[in-house]
Amino acid sequence: MTADNCKSDKNATGQLLDSLYLDMFHLIEEHTQCRLDIERTNASGAILLARTKFQQGGQSLSSAQIPTENSAEFNALCRVVDKTDDDKTDKVSIERHSVDKENGYVEPLHWFSVLPPMSLRTAVERFKKSIELVAESTNLQRELAKVLNGIDRLRRSLAL
Amino acid sequence: MALHSAIKGKLISVIGDEDTCVGFLLGGVGEINKNRHPNFMVVDKNTAVSEIEDCFKRFLKRDDIDIILINQTYAELIRHVIDAHTSPVPAVLEIPSKDHPYDASKDSILRRARGMFNPEDLVR
Repeated sequence: MTADNCKSDKNATGQLLDSLYLDMFHLIEEHTQCRLDIERTNASGAILLARTKFQQGGQSLSSAQIPTENSAEFNALCRVVDKTDDDKTDKVSIERHSVDKENGYVEPLHWFSVLPPMSLRTAVERFKKSIELVAESTNLQRELAKVLNGIDRLRRSLAL
Repeated sequence: MALHSAIKGKLISVIGDEDTCVGFLLGGVGEINKNRHPNFMVVDKNTAVSEIEDCFKRFLKRDDIDIILINQTYAELIRHVIDAHTSPVPAVLEIPSKDHPYDASKDSILRRARGMFNPEDLVR
């Protein structure tokens, strides 16, 4: 390989590295924003849970009502599914199953209250929104990890 | 009872304080499988760090879990285990809790990103 070829290869690698660094900064910004959105949504849900506790008593919403290892088995209502995006990248999204007690899809609201107050119902909506944000954040984190791996590889090849 | 056969998709698991777990369980992420293993763990002031670590490692080994949510404050307690997990699946997401806001400087992936741009390299 001539010195010119070697130099142009290094230039191309450098340009690719610059582009990956730019992607990284964009992804860091989006990733942080998404976490802050999760924080805001969860905080809003937590305030509504606190209001429900205030209205219904402190023990109305506690870990004591959550199923344990001794409880009957049940399925999650929402699951993470893979989908291929328009730009051919694998991403995850949330798929919700409707409540179907016979097949093990139980309504979590009923662990806490038979007649849930409006504040609890609104809290559920907030946490559902938060779960959507979790899927978005997962996609961003995986993309960021890919970019970081790419940067790592290129830096090693430049160092050789 | 074979409730879990041929279910499409994977689970989100949660390791967090009471409010975080109650919230996400209300959102519908909770599951107890046929082996009576839940995909969530409520951490309180009496929970030992070793219990959090064991639970986290158990979730890492399960092939039906795609995302592990953990309050950042508990992630800090088992940082060495989280940093050692480099595989994209399951994704480990550090989320804020009611008492501890999100701190980007503690997040494993962002700390790794920060290590990528060493100022000495930029000067060169």
